[in-house]
Order: sequence, then structure tokens, then C-alpha cells
Amino acid sequence: MADALVEFDSVVKRFGDFTAVETMNFTIDEGEFIAIMGPSGCGKTTTLRMLAGLEEPSEGEIRMQGRVMNHLPPHERDTPMVWQSLALFPFLNARENVEFGLEMRGVDAAARTKKALEWLDRLEISEFAERDINSLSGGQKQRVALARSLVTEPKILLLDEPLSALDANLVIRMQSMLTRLQRELGITFVYVTHSQSEAFAMADRVVIMSRGHIAQIGMPRDIYRAPENRFVAEFVGRNNIISGTVKSTSGKMVTIAGSLGQFKVAFGGAHQPVVGDAASFVIAADLVHLSTTKPKAGNMIECSLISEEFIGSVVTLFLEAPDGSEFKVQIQERELSDMDLKHMGRVFVSWASDRAHFIGAC
Amino acid sequence: MSVSNHPTETPSPGHTPIRRRHRSDLFQQALRLPIVIWQGLFFIAPLCFLVAMSFFIVRNYRMTEAFEMKNWFKMLSRDYFWDSYGLTIGLATLATLVVTTVAFPAAYTLAFRMSEVTRRWAIFLLIIPFFTSYLVRIFSWYVILAESGVINAMLGYIELGPYVMLNTKFGTIIGYMTLTLPLVIILQTFSLANIDRRLVEAAHNLGCRPWRTIIRVVLPLAKTGFIIAAVFCFILSFGDFVSPYYLGGSKPPTLPILIVDTVKSGQQWPRAAVVAVVMMVTLFIVAFGGIAAAYRRRTA
Amino acid sequence: MKSNRMLKWFLYGYLALVLIFIFAPIIFSVIFSFNSDRFPTIPLGSFTLKWYETIWQDPDVWEAARTSLIVSFSVATIATLLGFATAYTDYRYRFKLKPLYLALILLPPTIPLIIMALAMLAWFAKIGLAGTVTSIIIAHSVLTAPFAMAIIRLRLSQMDATLEAAAWNLGADQWRALRRVIVPFCRPAIVSSFCLTAAVSFDEFAIAWFISGLNKTIPVIILEIVTGNIDPQVNAIGSFVFLTSITLVVIAQVVLMTRDKKEKVNHG
Repeated sequence: MADALVEFDSVVKRFGDFTAVETMNFTIDEGEFIAIMGPSGCGKTTTLRMLAGLEEPSEGEIRMQGRVMNHLPPHERDTPMVWQSLALFPFLNARENVEFGLEMRGVDAAARTKKALEWLDRLEISEFAERDINSLSGGQKQRVALARSLVTEPKILLLDEPLSALDANLVIRMQSMLTRLQRELGITFVYVTHSQSEAFAMADRVVIMSRGHIAQIGMPRDIYRAPENRFVAEFVGRNNIISGTVKSTSGKMVTIAGSLGQFKVAFGGAHQPVVGDAASFVIAADLVHLSTTKPKAGNMIECSLISEEFIGSVVTLFLEAPDGSEFKVQIQERELSDMDLKHMGRVFVSWASDRAHFIGAC
Repeated sequence: MSVSNHPTETPSPGHTPIRRRHRSDLFQQALRLPIVIWQGLFFIAPLCFLVAMSFFIVRNYRMTEAFEMKNWFKMLSRDYFWDSYGLTIGLATLATLVVTTVAFPAAYTLAFRMSEVTRRWAIFLLIIPFFTSYLVRIFSWYVILAESGVINAMLGYIELGPYVMLNTKFGTIIGYMTLTLPLVIILQTFSLANIDRRLVEAAHNLGCRPWRTIIRVVLPLAKTGFIIAAVFCFILSFGDFVSPYYLGGSKPPTLPILIVDTVKSGQQWPRAAVVAVVMMVTLFIVAFGGIAAAYRRRTA
Repeated sequence: MKSNRMLKWFLYGYLALVLIFIFAPIIFSVIFSFNSDRFPTIPLGSFTLKWYETIWQDPDVWEAARTSLIVSFSVATIATLLGFATAYTDYRYRFKLKPLYLALILLPPTIPLIIMALAMLAWFAKIGLAGTVTSIIIAHSVLTAPFAMAIIRLRLSQMDATLEAAAWNLGADQWRALRRVIVPFCRPAIVSSFCLTAAVSFDEFAIAWFISGLNKTIPVIILEIVTGNIDPQVNAIGSFVFLTSITLVVIAQVVLMTRDKKEKVNHG
């Protein structure tokens, strides 16, 4: 942890009776792009606000470069934030908005104008420097807000769902601009969002939060392929979760028996199976093999086709398992047209044991 | 209601049904016309008549309708009129500055440092005086501020005073404050409470100290409401005759006192009308100036 | 953070001082009304009811109280009717001269009372209504209608726009929809507006003083006593006036607040 820029040490935040963040421990490294993701009300924005000093932790410590930040008022920190609402000052023009932070740090007028114009130029909006904030488009405002936060050359930039108000095309463009900026500047970005695609597209690491707890921290790929618990498995991607009890273990293989039959699952990692315990495993919808004839052996379930959802080249099929639960399969549209499927027709889903992911009892 | 001037246009769903249009007009007129007539007869007509009256003449203690500039020349050429005018504007301006300044910390506390429930109760308390007798409150001040009154008696215990507070400009300003302070606090509180808190947080986040935030961010955002409150304060103070008369001593009289004296001491209504019209014109200028300033787009 | 707490208490203290300034004249007036001194000061004289006895026995005060009550009641009725009709018109219709129409009803409070008083005096003399109770009622209605309009308009803006259309859809004509849907919905605001306009009219002295002639209202009596000399009778009448207005304001507020609560409960 030599490169830790920010450390959250057993941080708790309560608002009256409500606990927004509960015993949070994690570190943010220097120069990394970290995304905090979760459904609304999970405590992700509160976490960000504590970093900016807009809320004080009820318990625990937040350290930045080893220094305890708990009681430091926001204006004495160098933790600029890009707000969901952008929070641009309507009574100042674009350039004056960008200059604001420099003015507060006592930079003289000529120097701060020069600096502001440089940043506006860098973000390709120098032609709007003297324009009224309200006459700018959403994307232009976004860039002004970014320039305003970056002009003081901070070590860390906080972003609170900055793209949620933009339309889909613009979001993609802003995403690539943000990742490029972050690489070029080499500073830490802490990005709060509820959107999986934004988090996975940009972040080096993702923190998934649920009801004030951290559900999982990891690289996007790991989180996607190896969710550690039921919440993450349900929140991320299209996963099927199958529950039962542990029947036996042998080597790196565990056998789980449930209402859908017996399945062999490879395990390795946090959860250690104990015979007789309740346990679940995850099988991602895109790792399932689909066939109309019964496979010879292995993990399989016989289902009936309920409906299909067509998105471009990929199709999601919704099947019903014998116990009435839903089972999702994602396959290429091309593959599907080769098969002859009928509504309510019988299909078999199967998968290799090492494709399934054991998540224990949770 | 301008329901479709183009007959070819298809009426959008959810629009008031056109079928009812004819009867709707009757209904609408029945609601609207009586009020236009009533307000025309009892609001617009009296004001127009007031302007006309400033050109009437008084002969043998009787007012006769005419169109002569005599009253205007007579009033506007007198020094005492201009003394009164200057005094009235001066006092109203002073009251506006004092009340705006005194109100701000209170409004700030209400808007930023209190819960929604406490704020609602405080506003309710501030509304009460608005509907209670201003006259009795001023008389109460008269007794409190008197040379042997409550304040001087209390100051006497700490070996101070007695101070002369009645029949001074100080007394007048206390009266104006009694009239306008609650309203100004309420208007300022509303405009402060409407400020987007995230802008204040954004300023802190960019390194702005709390005091500086008030000047750089809070006040610019609340500007419109503050100017409107100040304009109301000016209008109320400018038009009040009770405070300058009972607490200010009326030497020299303000314009409203001039109107009262002129009307109550004889038949010189036209001259009072001249004063009234001058007051109205002044207030129009102040109000429009204020509104223009309040809604002016910033020029970069 | 310690300085922050000190600032907080400083601000609370400041707010308390401002409220004391605003309520001091009201409270002292009530205290003085029970005080035996002709020139009340600190320390207070002895407790007395003589000022109340004096006004109780004064037939002029009784006459003025009667006039004031008639005026307030009539004004509240007319102003609330005017306010309701304009608020509803503003809520429901769009027309070309609407800003002008709204200015017509909303502007009177922005004109200094003394100017309104002179204008009303001259106009009522011209049309032969000078010195009548009717003229006071008319003038006060013009003055207070904007308050009624504001309160009722606020209530209408909280109404579900489809309620009225639903009534039409069920076969109610416009008048019946107005009577059966809009009026019941606005009832708290109507009660509230009735109380507040009555309170304003009950306290208004400038216009009443100019145009009342021999039909003096209570504030006019107060004005005349005050102009004469210092007489603690004023405090006794004043306390009675405060009690009346504050009661009306509190009723208005309570009616509006209970409505808020009830609807919050209904919406879960």
C-alpha cells in the first residue's frame, strides 16, 4: 500500500437513525480510476461527500496521503468535485466559473485568466469562454465543469454521476474524453455512478456498494466473471443463481444438490464449501450451452422456452426451469436461427463445471 | 382561450373539449367581466380621478372641475415641498438600507441554519404582525421610547441616558422598521431558501471560505429577491404617515403628512393630489429601476 | 468546528432579538393596558382594569366596534369572492390581456395607503358615496382582494388538473363542476382568506379615516384618541384589536396547516 492516496479506515456515517455507510475499509491508489457503483441509496454519494468534506464521518478515519481528513472543512481540501447537477454558477460566465477556484487560492487576475483559457482550450470549448452559462449545451456545460475542477491541478478529482443528464451518444464521447484526460493527467479519479456500463468502461477498479456496505472491490472483469456474493451476481450482468446444499467436495470440485438436480462446480477463492451447508453458484447467461437434444452428461437442466429478447446480434432467451424459476441464456442471433425452437418447446441448457462460479451460502 | 385559429388543425387529445366552446365563453366571461368592471370602477377610476383632480381649482372653498396648472406651479415652486420631498426620500432610503442589513442575518439563519419545521413556525410568527394594528404598535413605541419611557428607565439602571428618541429621525426609522422588517425578512428568507445548496457546496469545494461564499455566491444568487424586498420596504416607508408623524415629530413633514394636513385642514384636495401624483411618479421610477436591476442579465 | 457552534448561537441570539423587536410593541401594549400609570414606564404601576372600564362605558367605542364588525365581515365576503373568481380565471384560462387583468387585481397593495385614501375620498365624493359604510367596504375589498387571490391561487396550483375534467366527463356542467369540485377543494383556502382579509380590514385606518365620515371604525377612534393626547385607553382598545386580529390569523393558519397534514396522511 505504498501508493495509497486515500484510506478509508472503519468509516461509519449515520444520519440520525439511518446508517448510510457502515464500517467501510478500502484504499484508493494514486493515479487510479476508481468507480463506486450501486443502486440509489447504497451510500455511494455519501462516501464521495465525505471525501470532499461535505459530510463528516460519524466514526473511523479518512486519511489522505497519511493525513487524517475527518475535521478538515471542504474549503481547505483540494478535492474538487464534478456534480451531477454540475453546480455551475449562473451569475458567472464560462471563463469566470473556471477561474473561481484559482481566485480562491489567491492567484492574480492575469495568471488565472491565462490558466482558465488554457483549460477551456484543452477541453475544446475556448470559443465559449465569455458565454453565459445558461446559453451553453449540456455537453459544453459538462466541459466547463470539468475545467473548473481541474484548473487547480488537484491530486484527485471526484465525479458524482456527471453523465447521468446527457443523452446516450454524448455519454460515450464524454467517457472516452474522461479516460483520456485521466491517463494524460495521471491523477486519481473517483467516479460515482449507478451505471454498470460507465463504471466498467472507464474504471481500473470498481467498488460495488449495497446498503452502506462494500459488496465487492475488484477489476471490472473479475467482478463480472467472479461475483463474490448474491447481490453482486444479481446487480452485475445477466447471471443465473442456483441454490442447494453442498453434497460432497473433492479437490477443487464441489457437488451441489438442489431442486433442479445435482451440479458440479469448480471453486477456488474466498468461499470454502462445507458438506451439508446451504450454498449457491452462479452461471452467467452467456456461458451456457443451449441444445434441443439432451446432452450425454454434465451439468444440465431441462427447460421450456418462455420468451426472447432481441438486442442486435445477441438474443436473451427466458426459460422456465422445472421448479418454476427463470433461467436466462444469451446466445448469438446467428446460432439461434440455426436451431428450431418453438414457444413452450423443450430445450436443454448445459455448462462446463469450470464455467460456474461458487459463491457459498450468501 | 385561444382554441385553434386554424380549423384544419386536429385538436390534440387532452385539450379542453371544443364542443363546450360557446358555453365556455359565457362561463368565462361571467367570471371575468364583473371583476374587470369592479376594479375599473373602484381602483382605476379613483386613481385616474386623482390625477385629474390635480388640475382642478378651488374657488370660495369649493372644488370645481377644470384643467389648470395652477396647483402644480404653486406646489412645485415652494421650498417646503422640496424639503419634504428630500426628507421623505432620504428617510425611506435610510430605512431601506437599515432594514435590508438588519434583516439579512435573521433571514440567513432562518434559511440556512434551521429545520424546515422551525422555519415554518418562525415565518408564521413573522406573518402575525402583518395583520395586527400598525397604529397601536406605533403608539406602543411612542410610550416605550419616551423620555421617561421603558427604554430610558432601563438605561437609567446602568447610569445611562436619558436619551431623546422621540421626534427624531431615529424614532421614524424605528417606526418604519416596525412596518417593514417582518415582510423583508420573509421575502429574503424565501429567496435564500430557494438557492440551490449544491452551488454553495460547490463554492466550498473549490476552496471558498464560508464568509466569502456569502458575498461571492449566496448574495448574487439571492439578488432578485433582495431587490424586490428592498423595493417593498421603500414603497411602504415612503408612503407611511404614522411613523414620521408620531415618532418623528413631523418637523418638517414628510409628503404623506403633507397630504394628510392638506386634506384635513380644508378643501385643498387638488394640492394634495399634486403631492400624491409626485409620490406615485417617484415610486414608479424606483419600482421599475429596482425591477430592471433585479432582472438585469449580467454583462460579461 | 467550535467557532461554527459559536456562530450558530450568535445567529440564534440575533434572530431572537429581531423577534423581540417585532413583538415588543404588541406585548407592551397589552401590559400597559392593565397598568395604572398614565405614562407607563418601568417599574410598572399597579394592576388596574380602569382603562377597560372606560372603553366599556364609551358608546362611541361600541358604535365603532359595530361598524368595524359589519365592515370586516362584508369585506371578507366580497374580497374572497373577487379573489376566488380571479384565482380560478388565472388557473384555468389563457387570454391575450391576462397580465393586464392580473395587474388590475394584484396592484392595489403596492400603492401607498395614503394615496389610495385620497383617491378614494375624492372619487366617492364625486359619485355620491362619501361618508357611507358602503364606501369603506368597497375600498377595503379592493385593497384586500389580492390577498384572497394569492391564498386561493396557491391552493388551486396544488389541485390535480384532471379532477375538474373528470367531473365534466361524468356529466357535470361548468357551474356544477365549479360548485361540486373546485369550491370544496379550495374550502380551507377560502376560510383562510376570509379570516385574513377580515383581519386586514379590521386594522386598516388610513383609508377608513379619510372616507368614513361619521361612521368611524375602531382604528379611526384609536387614531383620534392618539392624536389628542396620551391616553392608555388606546392600549385597552389596542389589546382588544390585537386579540381579534391574532385570533383571525391563527384560525387561518390552523385551517391551512391541518389541511396539509390530512393530505399527507392520505397520500401515505
